[in-house]
Amino acid sequence: MDGHVNDPNGPRIRIRHLDETSIDFVLSNTHLSVANSLRRTMIAEVPTMAIDLVEFHDNTSMLVDEYLAHRLGMVPLTSHTVDEFKLTRDCTCADYCKECSVEFNLHVKCTEEGTRTVYSTELISSNKDVSPVTEGPDDKGIILLKLRKGQEINIHCIAKKGVAKEHAKWSPCAAVGFEYDPHNNLRHLDYWFEKSVKNEWPLSKNAQEEMENDPDAPFDFKAEPTTFYYNVETVGSLKPQSLVYMATRVLQEKLGGLELALDEDQNPESNANMDDTEPWV
Amino acid sequence: MESPVNASVGFRTLERQAKAVNPGQKHEYPQAQSLTEPHIQSFNSIWERAGPRTPALMDVAMSLVEKQTVFDHKGDAESPLGNKIVFWMDTLRLDHPALSARETKSANRLMYPTECRQRGITYRGRLTGMLHYQVNDNPVVSEERALGQLPVMVRSNRCTLQGMGPAELIRHHEEAEEMGGYFIINGNERVVRLLVAQRRNHVLALQRPSYGNRGPGFTPYATQIRCVRRDQTSQTMTMHYLTTGKLVLRFALRKQEYMLPVSLLMRALVGATDKEIFEAIVGGDAENIFVRDRVELLLRSGKEHAVHTRDQALAYLGDKFRVVMSAPEDATNIEIGQLLLRRMVMVHLESDRDKFNMMAHMVRKLYAVVSGECQEDNPDTQQLQEVYLPGHLCLAIVKEKVEDFLLGVRAEINKNVRQDRVDLYNNRYLARLFARVPSDVGLKLQYFMATGNLVSKSGLDMQQVSGYTIVAEKLNYLRFLSHFRCIHRGAFFTELKTTGVRKLLPEGWGFMCPVHTPDGSPCGLLNHLAHKCRLTTVVEETDAVESALVRMGVEPGLPAPAQRDPHLLTVQLDGRVVGYCGQAVAARIARALRMLKLQGTLPFSMEIGFVPRSHGGQMPGLYLFTTPARFLRPVTHLATRQTDHIGSFEQVYMDIACLDADVRPGITTHQEVLPTHILSAVANFTPFCDFNQSPRNMYQCQMGKQTMGTPMHTYPYRTDNKLYRLQTGQTPICRPRIYEDYGVDNYPNGANAVVAVISYTGYDMEDAMILNKSAHERGFGYGSIYKTEYIDLGKFRKSGDPVTQHFGMGPDALGRADLLEHIDIDGLPLPGARVDDGKPLYAIIDDVKGRTKVKNYKGEPGFVETVRLLAGGLDDELQAIAVTFRIPRSPIIGDKFSSRHGQKGVCSVKFPAIDMPFTETGMQPDVIINPHAFPSRMTIGMFVESIAAKAGALHGVCQDATPFQFDETHTAADYFGEQLRAAGYNYHGSEPMYSGVTGQEMRADIYIGVVYYQRLRHMVSDKYQVRTTGSVNPLTHQPVKGRKKGGGIRLGEMERDALIAHGAAYFLQDRLMNCSDYSLAYVCRTCGSILSPIAAPATSHIVDLSGGDGEKTQSFTGLSAAEASAIMAAAGSSVHAGRGPLDLSCRLCQTPDAITMVALPFVFRYLATELMSMNMKVKLDVK
Repeated sequence: MDGHVNDPNGPRIRIRHLDETSIDFVLSNTHLSVANSLRRTMIAEVPTMAIDLVEFHDNTSMLVDEYLAHRLGMVPLTSHTVDEFKLTRDCTCADYCKECSVEFNLHVKCTEEGTRTVYSTELISSNKDVSPVTEGPDDKGIILLKLRKGQEINIHCIAKKGVAKEHAKWSPCAAVGFEYDPHNNLRHLDYWFEKSVKNEWPLSKNAQEEMENDPDAPFDFKAEPTTFYYNVETVGSLKPQSLVYMATRVLQEKLGGLELALDEDQNPESNANMDDTEPWV
Repeated sequence: MESPVNASVGFRTLERQAKAVNPGQKHEYPQAQSLTEPHIQSFNSIWERAGPRTPALMDVAMSLVEKQTVFDHKGDAESPLGNKIVFWMDTLRLDHPALSARETKSANRLMYPTECRQRGITYRGRLTGMLHYQVNDNPVVSEERALGQLPVMVRSNRCTLQGMGPAELIRHHEEAEEMGGYFIINGNERVVRLLVAQRRNHVLALQRPSYGNRGPGFTPYATQIRCVRRDQTSQTMTMHYLTTGKLVLRFALRKQEYMLPVSLLMRALVGATDKEIFEAIVGGDAENIFVRDRVELLLRSGKEHAVHTRDQALAYLGDKFRVVMSAPEDATNIEIGQLLLRRMVMVHLESDRDKFNMMAHMVRKLYAVVSGECQEDNPDTQQLQEVYLPGHLCLAIVKEKVEDFLLGVRAEINKNVRQDRVDLYNNRYLARLFARVPSDVGLKLQYFMATGNLVSKSGLDMQQVSGYTIVAEKLNYLRFLSHFRCIHRGAFFTELKTTGVRKLLPEGWGFMCPVHTPDGSPCGLLNHLAHKCRLTTVVEETDAVESALVRMGVEPGLPAPAQRDPHLLTVQLDGRVVGYCGQAVAARIARALRMLKLQGTLPFSMEIGFVPRSHGGQMPGLYLFTTPARFLRPVTHLATRQTDHIGSFEQVYMDIACLDADVRPGITTHQEVLPTHILSAVANFTPFCDFNQSPRNMYQCQMGKQTMGTPMHTYPYRTDNKLYRLQTGQTPICRPRIYEDYGVDNYPNGANAVVAVISYTGYDMEDAMILNKSAHERGFGYGSIYKTEYIDLGKFRKSGDPVTQHFGMGPDALGRADLLEHIDIDGLPLPGARVDDGKPLYAIIDDVKGRTKVKNYKGEPGFVETVRLLAGGLDDELQAIAVTFRIPRSPIIGDKFSSRHGQKGVCSVKFPAIDMPFTETGMQPDVIINPHAFPSRMTIGMFVESIAAKAGALHGVCQDATPFQFDETHTAADYFGEQLRAAGYNYHGSEPMYSGVTGQEMRADIYIGVVYYQRLRHMVSDKYQVRTTGSVNPLTHQPVKGRKKGGGIRLGEMERDALIAHGAAYFLQDRLMNCSDYSLAYVCRTCGSILSPIAAPATSHIVDLSGGDGEKTQSFTGLSAAEASAIMAAAGSSVHAGRGPLDLSCRLCQTPDAITMVALPFVFRYLATELMSMNMKVKLDVK
């Protein structure tokens, strides 16, 4: 899309709202398939870091090992440097290494009376750029577990790069709001109503962006949606704007791969050059 | 109606957390504690006085056990019976459970339930009794006698946990809200089931065709009374009406039936003359020709025995019953007659006059039902029922076993008399005599608890011999608590072809839950008590009631014909005729008694059953009941606004309104406290159940009990065979108010799921449900199973033998790194280690073989949760361990889920999140179900829950889902619709959705909301069965059956028929032959036998490898097995040549020439052999 930024017929993005965890934008001048691809990519194919392996040295807490490991996996990690890591399967190392993973340690023992709450910020990272997400410096993060007197937890976690296609823990977004045609001008949907559509179906705020068609005008059955309203909410591992950016890049890479594969199909003799390229990310 | 927004509904998360962290001294959920009340209180009443004049039931029972008298027959002519010994037992005491004296290593002697559960032993205390005996007129000798270890009910007054609050219970490794009410037998929690019994001390009129077949002259008419003694044991008597006008009374004594003429009995009771009997029966109804004629016939029929006085009657009875009553030898016939009347006839009454009066009433009612004056009673209505309480059952068993002990001693003395070894003046003889007879009453009760089988000589007046106890499975909270509330009609009725007993009758309103019963064979027989229904357990003192009755105008005794008033009603208190009065007086008395009862002057549990005179209805009268084991429930008394406890007998004749609108001034006296009181605890947990089609609520009651949830918080202290645990439980957003009362929030049973109702991709057809893969990955429905295995090395060792096996790693095993990875150096499993099928689990050093034996783990992959070292009784050395495994069970395709509305489904696919449909706000459903699940099932409650919980989630509030809150003018759809609208959502709960695959908006708006989903315990991992090859039955060579053994699934006759109908011949051949018992057999074409071709002797093996040429022959001697099979294989290929392999020859034809190989099912060969053994030949016509 880089080449078409100034193309008046090309897709356009207009950001309506942006904060730490969410972005609200309008994508216009494009096809529904492109818009949906962007949505799907944001949910499932933008890589992030997440704890993938947990070695238990000691766990006398009430939570069982696999349950705690699952909890740790769900902790969002700051992943703005995710591009610097390789996927473990692409890495040259045998098990895991600095190139493809970040290590975390957690060793807490409750010695006082009462309950000792262990927070995600107590995970000690081996990489300053990858750490559990917090909302500001005072935030202790997510409660991982609670310990009573005498209980101890000593674990070693390995966070790896991955995509949500594989496991939901790698998903950078909580939800992606997606809408087109708020007035139902295209009549994709037959609203069910008891007395009146208007009263029973509240309009979304995106309705202000578009005009409702004149109900008496002839219906244009060839019309297609061109404007799409997104509301992307992240879990904090990536900044919203970089999430959208990374998603477009992933999409581009995939299309690039597809383009190459098509070329290859048309020019079979150029096969030799293609061997070392990975068409699908 | 009040607004459904109720302040009492809330999540109260922090409140509950605070209580969990700092448990108090008082129970937080008294209502949950009340669920087991009938169990505990009935057990307590055995040992504890209920009041100053009501002794503990055990003491009552012992006072009713007859003293045994035996003679040594060493007498002279003057007293031929010789010396006399009288012995009896009393003062039975039960100690708190404690370690036995033989276990010397523990300083703390008291035993707590958790220890019994973990060690797999019985929670029991020492039972002792005082044995007294007296020889002739010498002083009475008393000694304490040990009666074994008696199981103790948890949280009863003999339990070590008695009176503990949450804090202390937790310290003893129990649930904070432990309810008790069960016994721990061999580590299992077992409950004595509540059983329906006939209402005690009340005469029932019956009409059964089977009565007519009892003998010549018998008619279908009878009256029956189940008399209950003061110690709560019972004796049922039936009075039959014969065509001759005679009446006979039938009762069972030691499981043997006896019939006695009623006129004889009435004479024996009080020595009544014919006139007295006539007047007692006819009463004020002197003009009733029918009754007068019958009584005349009755009296005339009594003449055949030539018995005219009381003594004659008693002597007659005594003579007939001398042997069966096992009366003392010196007793006269009259004494035995009196004994019979005391022990068998109208046993709930003490005085003979009362017995006589009641007998007269019984006769009168029988005549009334024969003449059609009153209706026969329906014994299946709750009105005429009560309950066998667990405590009373235990007491009856203990009492009978003590009686058996005394009879045993008596039999022993009599045996010694015959052997002439008896010496009653020898103390050593007596000591040995009493020691010789086994008296382990505790063991007998333990057997009863462990098996549910009643072993009894008398039958205890019960209708069944087995099925009394059940395991209280802790599958989840709902299942556990419903065990204490379930009430069974009796095993006898399960066999019954007629379905009348299963019918839901209006008499059960408020006592039995109309919803909570299983479908299928136990439907209607296995019911559950409504959640506010109580069972009385206390024996009340009734003097005040009686004096009140007399004061208010009840004439004592029976009405006399001289009064000439046919409308006098009988007034009975607990089956005793107090007197009679007119109808108007009776009505006034009933009202007055109710007020006295509400004031607290009379027992609150008293039932005032006023049956007014009617045309052919129930026998009129004023029937009062104060006895234990009755149903009782609270309703509001309108005049005083007080809570009145009413019973099932009186309810039928009361005017109770349900809602305010139902109150009819001047008529209605009572009103329901809440409409939900008619439902059981579990049925009450179904949200908005009033919107559902009724069978769906029944299904939910079943499914709620099969849910994989949170049964307990004490996992570390449990060694149950199998325990389920939902690791990611949530509290439902939408729940009935009653959740709070029972503390269900502490035991979550599922999770709130976003549910869309769409037909999407076809994977949700036929009740399948699509699960969002991301929801699953985030922990939706994630559960574990805890399995415990006991490993006891001493199991096969006889006591006294030396210990030869020890846990441990010998020098031969310590060097093996592969073992140390799995097993600790002490030979035990490593806690926390992963275990896989076939991997080492523990190691034993075997002294006999002198090496280390490694035992492997069998089963699913899991983790070792705990390893418990068990003190196996008296061994010094560790011989027994209990290993608990934790097996993760993440939801997989094929696992079963359900909502709380009887909508179950199987997970058919885990769909990637990006392909799931989504709403404009980006919500994706966790679960997709098909709209076709609704039209026929009409579970509207699920729709309501969906929008209610959606609105609750949007506003962050907890929703009240108590049924009967909405009506036509104030609908749930509007109430929750407004909440949705306020949150900016569609009023009806629908939203536009987009296809996740294409991004296109769907053609219809989709109903999407939040529904609480339960994960059911039925998981494919426990059920899948697959086999290619495997073990076969040695006899038939067919695959074995059974999943555990790796067997096959039977392709039965009907499946075969279907395949034949489809013409799937090849497939049929494959299933029935090739994959089953395919075998090759030799058959002789000449004689057609498959059994006659037999290998020639080994010395003359001649194999023709030329394929039938016969000229080039080779001879072998001493073939090895491998060679032989090679040759056989080669020969097998030459079958078609027409000649068999030459080392075979037909025994019958004496030639190898005609032997051919054919493929046969192996079982056919077996058939041929079996037929041969019966001299039948099977001939195969091979072409």
